[in-house]
Amino acid sequence: MKARFALLRNPALRHGGWPLLIVIALAGGQVMDDYQVTVAGTILIYAILGLGINIVVGYAGLLDLGFAAFFAIGAYTSGLLMLKLDWNFWLTLPAAVLAAAAAGVVIGYPTLRLRSDYLAIVTLGFGEIIRITVVNLDVTGGPNGLTGIPPVSVGGRQIVTPAGFFYLALAFFAVVLVLTGLLARTRLAYAWRAIRSDDTAAEAVGVPSRRVKLLAYVLGAAVGAVAGPLNAAQLGTVDPSSFTFLTSLMILLVVIIGGMGSRPGVMVGAIVIVALPEALRTVQEYRGLFFALLLIVIVILRPQGVWPARPRRFRLPARAPAEARPARAETGALLEVDGLTREFGGVTAVADLRLRAAAGQVVSVIGPNGAGKTTAFNCITGLIPPSSGTVALGGRRVRGLSPHRVAAAGLARTFQSIRLFEEMTVAENVLIGRFARDRALLRPPRRADLDAVRRCLDFVGLADAADRPAGGLPYGDRRRLEIARALAAEPRVLLLDEPAAGANPTEKRALMELIARISGLGTAVVLIEHDVALVMSISDRVTVLEHGRAIAEGPPAEIQADPRVIAAYLGVPDDPETDLVTEVLG
Amino acid sequence: MSEFVQYLVNGLTIGAFLALIALGYSMIYGVVRLINFAHGDVFMIGAFAGYGVLTTLGVTGGSAWPALLAAVVVGALTTGVVGTGIARAAYVPLLSSPRLALLISAIGVSLALEEGVKDLTHARFKSYPGVLDGGRIFSGTVRVTYGQLALVLLSVALMAGLWLFVTRTVTGTAMRALAMDRDAARLQGINVERLILVTFFVGSMLAGAAGVMYGLYYVQISFGMGFLIGLRAFTAAVLGGIGNLPGTMVAGVCIGLVQSFAAGYVSSRWTDVIIFGLLIAVLALRPTGLFGERVVERA
Repeated sequence: MKARFALLRNPALRHGGWPLLIVIALAGGQVMDDYQVTVAGTILIYAILGLGINIVVGYAGLLDLGFAAFFAIGAYTSGLLMLKLDWNFWLTLPAAVLAAAAAGVVIGYPTLRLRSDYLAIVTLGFGEIIRITVVNLDVTGGPNGLTGIPPVSVGGRQIVTPAGFFYLALAFFAVVLVLTGLLARTRLAYAWRAIRSDDTAAEAVGVPSRRVKLLAYVLGAAVGAVAGPLNAAQLGTVDPSSFTFLTSLMILLVVIIGGMGSRPGVMVGAIVIVALPEALRTVQEYRGLFFALLLIVIVILRPQGVWPARPRRFRLPARAPAEARPARAETGALLEVDGLTREFGGVTAVADLRLRAAAGQVVSVIGPNGAGKTTAFNCITGLIPPSSGTVALGGRRVRGLSPHRVAAAGLARTFQSIRLFEEMTVAENVLIGRFARDRALLRPPRRADLDAVRRCLDFVGLADAADRPAGGLPYGDRRRLEIARALAAEPRVLLLDEPAAGANPTEKRALMELIARISGLGTAVVLIEHDVALVMSISDRVTVLEHGRAIAEGPPAEIQADPRVIAAYLGVPDDPETDLVTEVLG
Repeated sequence: MSEFVQYLVNGLTIGAFLALIALGYSMIYGVVRLINFAHGDVFMIGAFAGYGVLTTLGVTGGSAWPALLAAVVVGALTTGVVGTGIARAAYVPLLSSPRLALLISAIGVSLALEEGVKDLTHARFKSYPGVLDGGRIFSGTVRVTYGQLALVLLSVALMAGLWLFVTRTVTGTAMRALAMDRDAARLQGINVERLILVTFFVGSMLAGAAGVMYGLYYVQISFGMGFLIGLRAFTAAVLGGIGNLPGTMVAGVCIGLVQSFAAGYVSSRWTDVIIFGLLIAVLALRPTGLFGERVVERA
């Protein structure tokens, strides 16, 4: 199996594959008959639509069952402008793209908070709304659609033959291919894959998830809309019956059969979707049934698609240069939390919490399970809004900001239940952490990003695993990767939520050493931890929470002697639980 | 005024069987996290099975309550078996695959059912014999027939039965546990695959019964009838809050009313624009549906 595909991994072929395909297509245009060349043109139209929906579904993981709406908007915008206002085809093209992009905002904006399954029905409904509207309105020609669309002219020559149209479609396809190829290398593409994997974690480490999702709709719609005018030019008509739910399904199937997020897969998918039903023409009557059954078989045999995406590996520098900036010379309290309170219904999870962490300090928050430690972290990072209180980072108030803004202000965190982007590589995970420092989306990761990724991986000792998928890492490495991702933001304050959970004594020692090195960088570390011995040995100060309230605060030595802490943690004499604790500790 | 009451009555009737279909979407989503696209087509199969029973029995018209009941029962059992078979063949093998693969499989099944019935019926409409009692309960401007009343009562009885099944039986309780957490349910000794099949059986039976009721009420049936009805029912399931059975029932009736009033006061051409527009508006304001969902998203 491996040997057979080795050829495909040849780098020359990998980068030369598309030009080769275009050359073959150009040559093919000469030898194919009119019928074949028409089918080939339709394949290209579906390939363009597939490249569009690949952005929404493949990269960003937002299910779209109404993509034909953008196809329709593109076709009708272009057709109406040509017929009613006598615009030139080439002028209507940007108008069609803009109209579809605007529609992308309309459908994207209200659905940003929705889960993927609800997205399915909302996008489906949107597709139906557009279709029914164009069928019902007079200006769009009602059920008959638009007819008499003039042929496209290129350099004074009108394109009327099927072969001529095929070359036109090929040119469109090539342009879209190059543009989506450029898009696939940008930081935005990495951000899309991160939100597809875990949008909460992505937001928490600095990805502006709403903007990123909206951009997926807008750019996907804009790309797909290009197919509309092309289709209108091919047929000379715009027929509302070509934008049904079935069309949306076909477009979706292009990416699913091919492999989500995979551009070669889109090509395979478009060929299967268009050419297969044509090939089945001989069994005309049963071809729908046959096609449906084949679809089920393909999905059961290859659930990941025929040509699954293999994300490009970015080359990390062999050695990370020393950090360009001098170590931060910040002093004083970097994190100031005052009066932080969070109520859930009648339950007060966190009450009037005060927390200080200065540069280079390690501050720990301990307390029994359910004391409100993680809730406090979630309030500080903006993941849940606090009921009252203030949070300031280096003197700047950040309460009420969305998590990615809090992250950008210099606060990084890890999660109690590790939240990595499982399908992305170790290096890509760390790259996402860079969004807190630099939110630029529409350009490839810079050298500074790659240097930082390398530095962070070296720092936690994961450089050798850079190209491995995060999902395959052993537990201890996953913890360290999450810390590396947080460090990529070069945070002023780092919140670690139970980093030692499940670690063995050796790993705990390594962790303590790692935390000491992080605070040595001038970062304030706030630690939630249950391992009291670990906390006492590395903390400068300790806050003890019980039932959401701080019951003690001070240096470790004081805390250890505090009778209230002993009572909360170990129980008090005459309490039946105490005997058990003594027995266990005994 | 009489217009309004008439639309209300019609809406309630339509809503009664929309709710039945919506319940299937909701239950199935609960246990396998799948929007069962084939559900609308299972409904269509039910309509054809009921048609088969009535024509085989040679019922031609008039009140034939036993034949009518037989049609509903056979229709429901047929779809129960069909639905379970579909789940066994096309969904269970994909339980551990990406969720999109499951969805695509469902779309494939939906197409296969439509195309299969299209080939078998040569794409022709079939007409139910007019067995539904056309006798009026009220005379006057508002038309309410005994048939309509029977359909609504039957729907209510089926929904009550489902409610008892889900809340009072061991299997129903296991089903709710499965909807919360598949792995935990498995660890408690629940046979997950079997339970999934049971859920498909029950959900599909409801859709099949609704299919027969649709045929009795609207008379004309065809291979493509499941698509739009399925969409409307699914809209109801989402509006009611997926996995939330009482919410789904209420939302099903609401969609029926919207459909009836939209067709009456605006135009039937704009009905679906209004339904889907409403759906988008509601979800934008309340992302988990009108009544809140009852499924736990696995993190």
